[in-house]
Amino acid sequence: MSDVHSQVLDRVFERMSRAMANHTSRRSFLARVGMALVGGAVLPILPVDRTGRTKEAQAAEFAKTAQTDDPTQCNYWRYCAIDGYMCGCCGGGPSTCPPGTQPSPTSWVGSCINPDDGKTYLLAYRDCCGKDSCARCACLATEGEMPIYRPQLNNDIIWCFGAPSMVYHCSSAALIGEA
Amino acid sequence: MWGKAWPASAMAAALAGVLFAGTAAAQVPEGAKMPVAEEHNTVTLGEPGDHRVYVLDPVFPHLIAGKVYVVDGDEQQVIGTMNAGYVPNLVLGKGGKELYFAETFWSRGTRGERTDVVTTYDASTLSPTGEVKLPRGRFLVVTKRWDAISTPDGRFLLSYNMDPATSVSVVDLENDEYVGEIETPGCALMYPMADRRFAMLCADGSLLTVDFDENGEAELSRGEPFFDAQNDPVFEHAAVSTSAEMTYYISYNGMVYPTDMSGETPEVGDAWSLVSEEDKAENWRPGGWMPASYHPGSDRLFVLMHQGGEWTHKNAGSEIWVFDASEGKRLDRIELEEHAASVAVTKDDEPLLYALTEAASLSIFDAANGYAHKGTMGQLGDSPLVLMVHGE
Repeated sequence: MSDVHSQVLDRVFERMSRAMANHTSRRSFLARVGMALVGGAVLPILPVDRTGRTKEAQAAEFAKTAQTDDPTQCNYWRYCAIDGYMCGCCGGGPSTCPPGTQPSPTSWVGSCINPDDGKTYLLAYRDCCGKDSCARCACLATEGEMPIYRPQLNNDIIWCFGAPSMVYHCSSAALIGEA
Repeated sequence: MWGKAWPASAMAAALAGVLFAGTAAAQVPEGAKMPVAEEHNTVTLGEPGDHRVYVLDPVFPHLIAGKVYVVDGDEQQVIGTMNAGYVPNLVLGKGGKELYFAETFWSRGTRGERTDVVTTYDASTLSPTGEVKLPRGRFLVVTKRWDAISTPDGRFLLSYNMDPATSVSVVDLENDEYVGEIETPGCALMYPMADRRFAMLCADGSLLTVDFDENGEAELSRGEPFFDAQNDPVFEHAAVSTSAEMTYYISYNGMVYPTDMSGETPEVGDAWSLVSEEDKAENWRPGGWMPASYHPGSDRLFVLMHQGGEWTHKNAGSEIWVFDASEGKRLDRIELEEHAASVAVTKDDEPLLYALTEAASLSIFDAANGYAHKGTMGQLGDSPLVLMVHGE
């Protein structure tokens, strides 16, 4: 259990979304999760469980069927804790924003296992903001997701805080190190 | 979608009718009467009946433009629509004459100056009649029912805010003015209590009671935690009845916390479980977006249930389970043809039960007559999530 008064604030951002998916008979909810590290916490947010028991189990479960070649698919290894429209399908990539959009200066951090080397890496899930929903390649994750009275772990909040625009476009997942 | 509504042959025929009107007229059987001219008026709505339901779609593929379908559940007709801004909240005014959106716009569509606003709508014309700006903004999140409420007397609208400090914006609906901000650290959402009192859910599993006055001055009183927020949180979308002054908080694992909202602070009664040991063994649990609704006259609690593992709390329900809320006893199970994300029961004596499905359709059941399936309405937007009826 970490402390709200720590100098580093973890944020989680997820978004509910839904497939247009005319080609599938049942549309499903889509979501995304992330965790941010920002200096100088300003949020009066209560303690967050970062012991990560659930997340580790999730990452391992996700890695079982993950692949490392195609960032337009929901099982791309870096997306173990992402929700939303994948920037790789919108003119960007796992670590780039599509033209005309800006990455949120805050990033969310998840840890995913690369199935090629079996190592766990830290990912910064940065929203790209400034254009309306990309509406392509929506991916879902609700494991460990909590209601908005625990905002750090909620997947519905639009987390473009600090970006020039609060208009959500897509989600990316940049490598920031080895866990 | 258009292919269904307007088959290509019908489109061609319609165009042909326009382009070759003379030919079409010539085909009218002899003796048939054609109207020479008809008036072309705009419909206005009467006062809302008990079975009116509002279906709110945040429109995920185009989040900047939310939408509401106003539905007459008896006629199974859309009787009007409303346009809104980014991830809007709808609030039903007291008496049904007015509707309000808490919504967010940019001056150039997806760019330009951001404006957060409470917009008043005439409920008979579904047209805007005024607005009050929210200078501190509003919480931007996929629309949750309890992020904006009006007080039981209809005087104030309360809009939850996270910027990212948490607060509640108070708007005076009588005088069309922004009153101010109530700081509410660590707590979110708003559940109705009294004219100048509401409750909020807090991160430690407690309820915060907020008493406020006409100037927006507030006193905060924090209760003891009543659920395990770490391991078994309650859904944001509790089942609420303002007439019964009861709110039923329901946890991911199916615990029900009946909460009396009539006193100075919320009083949480004895908790009970939606699921028996047998149900648990079959992995039944509540889920969806708005998983529960309460009917005060019959004391029935309706809950969307599905079979799934832990963290499937947003999975749509395959069944609606009906409970005696006081006894904590299951009375019925209603199987759904299409899985549903949200449920709402009307508050009158001959209630209809609405289930909003994953296929953007609304299934309608007669809750007064054995939950008979009365019909299903389709084409209710792209990603409708929120159902609202009067009396919640």
